[in-house]
Amino acid sequence: MLKLIKVAKSYESPADSAGLTVLKDITLEVGEGESLVIVGPSGSGKSTLLNIIGALDRPTAGQVLFDGRDLADLDEAELARIRNREIGFVFQLHHLLPQCTVFENVLVPTLASKESRSRKDLQQRAGDLLERVGLKDWQHHRPGELSGGQRQRVAVVRALINGPKLLLADEPTGSLDEQASQNIAKLLTELNRREGVTLIVVTHSLTLAESIGHVMELSAGLLKDRSQR
Amino acid sequence: MSLWSLVRRSLGFYWRTNIAVLLTAVVTTAVLTGALAVGDSVRYSLKMMVRARLGATQLALVPQNRFFTAGLAADLATDLDTAVAPVLQLRGLVANSAGTSRANRVEVLGVDERFYEIGAATDPFGEDAGERVVLNSPLAARLGVGVGDEVVLRVDRPDRMPRDVPLTPDADLSIAARLTVRAIAADSQFGRFSLQANQVAALNAFVPIQWLQEKLDRAGQANMLLVAANPADSVTLTAANEALRKRWQLSDAGLELRQLERQGVLEIRSRRVFIDQSVSDAALKIGDDAVGVLAYFVNELRSGEKATPYSMVAAMAPSGQAGAVVTTSMRDDEIVINQWLADDIEAGVGDSIEVTYFALGPMRKLEERKAGFRVLKILPMEQPAVDPELMPDFPGLADADNCRDWEPGIPIDLDKIRDRDEDYWDRYRGTPKAFITLEAGRELWSNRYGNLTAVRYPLGNHSRESVEKSLSQAVDPASVGLFLQPVRQRGLQAGDQATDFGQLFLGLSMFLVLSALILMALVFVFGVESRGRQIGMLLAVGFSPRLVRGLFFIEGGVLAVLGAIAGAGGGLIYTKAMIYGLATLWRGAVAGSEILFHAEPVTLLIGTLSGILVALIAIRLALRKQASRPARELLSGIAEEQFLAVARAGRRRRGLWVALASIAAAAVLLVLFGASSSRAVSAAFFGIGVLVLIAGIGLGHTLLAAGHFGHTRPVVSLSGLGLRNAMRRRGRSLALAGLLACGIFLVISVAANRHDPLAGSDRRDSGTGGFSLFGESAIGFLQDLNGESTRQSMGLADHLPDDVSVVQLKVHDGDDASCFNLNRAQRPRLLGVEPEKLLTRGAFGFADVADKSRLKEAWSLLDLDLGENVVPAVGDYPTVVWALGKSLGDDLEYVDEKGQTFRLRLVGMINGSILQGSLLISAPQFTKRYPSEDGYRMYLIDTPEDTAAEAAEKLSFAMRDFGLALVPAKQRLADFSTVEHTYLSIFQMLGGLGLVLGSIGLGLVVLRNLLDRRGELGMLRAVGFDKATLARVVFYEHWGLMLYGLACGSAAALMAVGPALRSGGSRVPYLSLATMVLAIALSGALWVWLAAKVAMGPKILEALRSE
Repeated sequence: MLKLIKVAKSYESPADSAGLTVLKDITLEVGEGESLVIVGPSGSGKSTLLNIIGALDRPTAGQVLFDGRDLADLDEAELARIRNREIGFVFQLHHLLPQCTVFENVLVPTLASKESRSRKDLQQRAGDLLERVGLKDWQHHRPGELSGGQRQRVAVVRALINGPKLLLADEPTGSLDEQASQNIAKLLTELNRREGVTLIVVTHSLTLAESIGHVMELSAGLLKDRSQR
Repeated sequence: MSLWSLVRRSLGFYWRTNIAVLLTAVVTTAVLTGALAVGDSVRYSLKMMVRARLGATQLALVPQNRFFTAGLAADLATDLDTAVAPVLQLRGLVANSAGTSRANRVEVLGVDERFYEIGAATDPFGEDAGERVVLNSPLAARLGVGVGDEVVLRVDRPDRMPRDVPLTPDADLSIAARLTVRAIAADSQFGRFSLQANQVAALNAFVPIQWLQEKLDRAGQANMLLVAANPADSVTLTAANEALRKRWQLSDAGLELRQLERQGVLEIRSRRVFIDQSVSDAALKIGDDAVGVLAYFVNELRSGEKATPYSMVAAMAPSGQAGAVVTTSMRDDEIVINQWLADDIEAGVGDSIEVTYFALGPMRKLEERKAGFRVLKILPMEQPAVDPELMPDFPGLADADNCRDWEPGIPIDLDKIRDRDEDYWDRYRGTPKAFITLEAGRELWSNRYGNLTAVRYPLGNHSRESVEKSLSQAVDPASVGLFLQPVRQRGLQAGDQATDFGQLFLGLSMFLVLSALILMALVFVFGVESRGRQIGMLLAVGFSPRLVRGLFFIEGGVLAVLGAIAGAGGGLIYTKAMIYGLATLWRGAVAGSEILFHAEPVTLLIGTLSGILVALIAIRLALRKQASRPARELLSGIAEEQFLAVARAGRRRRGLWVALASIAAAAVLLVLFGASSSRAVSAAFFGIGVLVLIAGIGLGHTLLAAGHFGHTRPVVSLSGLGLRNAMRRRGRSLALAGLLACGIFLVISVAANRHDPLAGSDRRDSGTGGFSLFGESAIGFLQDLNGESTRQSMGLADHLPDDVSVVQLKVHDGDDASCFNLNRAQRPRLLGVEPEKLLTRGAFGFADVADKSRLKEAWSLLDLDLGENVVPAVGDYPTVVWALGKSLGDDLEYVDEKGQTFRLRLVGMINGSILQGSLLISAPQFTKRYPSEDGYRMYLIDTPEDTAAEAAEKLSFAMRDFGLALVPAKQRLADFSTVEHTYLSIFQMLGGLGLVLGSIGLGLVVLRNLLDRRGELGMLRAVGFDKATLARVVFYEHWGLMLYGLACGSAAALMAVGPALRSGGSRVPYLSLATMVLAIALSGALWVWLAAKVAMGPKILEALRSE
């Protein structure tokens, strides 16, 4: 479903005319329903890699194929559509809209879609997902009234509302305590299994990584299978 | 969940920011709507003034020193099925009984109940037609009198002949009466009545028409008709003039048709002595047997050594009738005399006779001339030679019992009158002693009032009815001043085309609107920027940047709409505040007129929609760069730290290109206009100033963008750090500096345009014309005030300083076209001047003339021959350009007193002067168009400064019965400039309010800048910066911007006001200006300090910890 071929990323740097290379020659393939955890120290380029996979950023070299489509061939509108319908994002900071209720926050991604869908179905799905993560009773609360773990669960539900094929989570437990982190890890694993959604998680927490599945490590711009170490 | 509910949620959640945006939208719309509603209020007030001035009057027959039978009103009322009021209107003056207060230039109106019917008011006189007067409120206030008080009324007494004709007596020009004030007429009681489209109320004194007619010895006569509109709206100008044409009678034109049995003739003569040309032409055409007569009073008839003084001589058309005195064979150099004369001067047939007579000149000047004739025939003292009816009713002659009682207007040496002459008078009255041909008589005695004193028809061939009918059909009543004018339409037109106060206040409030909009954009964009991560999330979940901007635009749009709706209400408060200002602080702008609050619904709608539109534009501009950062940057917060990011080279240079282009354009303007002295220079320099301002802002943009280059060099000072900080948010910084620069630019350039109207006012080419005194009288003065004999007769010869000289001007009343009149003057007052008198003095400098080659002798342009119906005219610049909206070469249509249309062509413009509000034409043209406007009513007086007060006192006393009011010319000139200065004050005050908003904007920018960087400031504190040092960083950052704005605005303003500063009359209030600039700087400092205080409060380290 997702294939990265010799993907590289570098940035301009005032100190180095050659630029600052973050990712080098990364090749990766992730199938439907699989789960992958990418670990690595801070600054190793994990988030950059995730942004490239999630069509939020473009590589300086190489190809990213999503469902056989080369993302480089798509324009901004098509990329936005893919982000909206086929990819779900969970960020380290939940980025929930403080002005909206939990239920509304979950539905926010549906507003970007130009395709007409049954509002009732969407609301039903939002309610089901919230129930599944144990937040049904909180749906009419504002994010400010929720704990950190709860907020992150709402963020996960928001990522799933459009039924994406790929769920990307960037340090989803980075700002949570241990208990909340375990709950999120459990939730993600469960969703991967039950919904069949492909899951890619970036974290520096090995505990979280091991509780989810296949782990790869990003170091010095190169991605290696942790089992090969 | 929908996009709309997302917007709704955001509106509620971010209510603090949104309230600020809402308030700025309220202010914007309030100012826009309010300014427009000021226009509505002024227009409405002017309309109400028209109603108060005219009541239901639709048309009016305006007096031209002519009188008609008041019965014409009843006839027209029947024909037109409406109310028609006869009015006897004269100029006069009123004093309180003690003589301690006096009002000149009072309109004295003889009225009856029909006048009040038209004015929808109660007749205050009722049955009481005694010695009562009703004063209108302004007049009563001026005199300080009330009901029951006595006043002395002096009224111009019109003569049968225009008083410019020297044959009329010049004594008893007015009558006086002591009257009790019956009532004070308010506007609602038709007290404001006036036909002139001026918003300053006339001073009116109303008396019963019958009483006035009796006093003036004009029973049953009127000189004004007011025709009201009727419910059927059928009173049109055409219909009314048609009815007038049908109904008018010879007596309405002052004509008299009498049957002279002894002479066997029907005779037409005029109460004005000379018959109007149009009438005499028509009268002569009635039949071939009509005989024109021109009888004249001559000084002497001489043959050799023998002479007869003061006699009538008749010039008559030849007649084929038996017994005719002048026959067809008589030559123009021949004279027929009667036996009495032949005996008196011992003249026989064939002898030469010399006729000495006075030719009529202007200012009642008389030039004694002589003409020689040869005696053709001597007639016996019987019919037809003895015909006393040939003598016209010369005032002062016709009604005298004895020759020694003669009081004609010409000087008579009564000593010359012998007993023989008395006997002749007793026996033959004014029987002409000699007869010449009509051609010869016209050659000698024709004048602008006419060239016949009678037309005669043989009784056998004509009946009274046939002559009357033929004449009234043949003569156009308009040619004798009987024509109606559309006064209401003209009044409404004057109001409609009046100064648009809506646009004026819009212009004056523009900086306030701009400040509010910039403030709105800043507040709004701060709100958006604080939601950067939200934007990132929305982008990440698939919202397009456009959709994100759309969401925010809808949010802003809702605020704009709500703010505009509330602002429309606020606009009404703003209007009321402005009207209050116009009634108090800025009275000068509306010449003290009362402005009534009024707002049209469509104005509120336009104001609201405009408010919404400009707010949406501001929001759209503010949003144009939002959501342009990648989602990942926004989500991670990197975007907020990347405002120092590299601006693309093109963008960096854009400001530089703008600056260079502006400077180049400014240089071009400077080269083109720098050395010029025309009026365009001021506009050009203002343009240069604006370009310099734009260049400054462009340069500021470049400097801020250039921060990129500075990165290679480390910041080594606090001021450097401050500058670097200012570069973080170029948009904000530039908006701040730009707003201040614009504010300072306007404040300085407006203040510098205040000029001293009296600078150089002693010079001949100044607005005073070098004259010391300016005077106007209620009653026309006939003689030349410079003449020795006049001064003696006025008792001035020994009292008036020798070096006093007077330029007298004739006046034909019209609309006031000065800056004191809010209406657009339709027919400005006309002044008749002898151009030579101003030319030789070099009085009044010309701003522009149609024929540049004659600039040095511009006054002589008034003598140009532009064709039969075109009269060259000169006005001052404010009158022509501002009050009339005209330019050189333009024409204005006027109607002369005979109803003939002619055009005034503007051939020159003098600089702003004491003659503002009127147009000048040459005296000959004036008397040609308005021969009945007798005397002079305006005076420009030359006198040395030190004797001016004395001269004013003496002249005022000597001419008190003429209602002469004198003011120092400088004072009059200064009065005119109050309007301009009031506008400048309004502009400055509203500009000041704009700067207050600008200062609030500054505070917000500072606060936002600091709040954005609380963590950073906390870090600085944590690493050892103390509060004072941090405050210095903040100070350097924002003060740098402020100083740049101040410097930029000041430099641009100084360029803009260059010509004003160089001109002699510049009265730049340097002190108040410096105070204002300092106040702006201090208020800026205050805001910086306050914002820094709030942002760097005690929780600053907590901010660091929370990050």
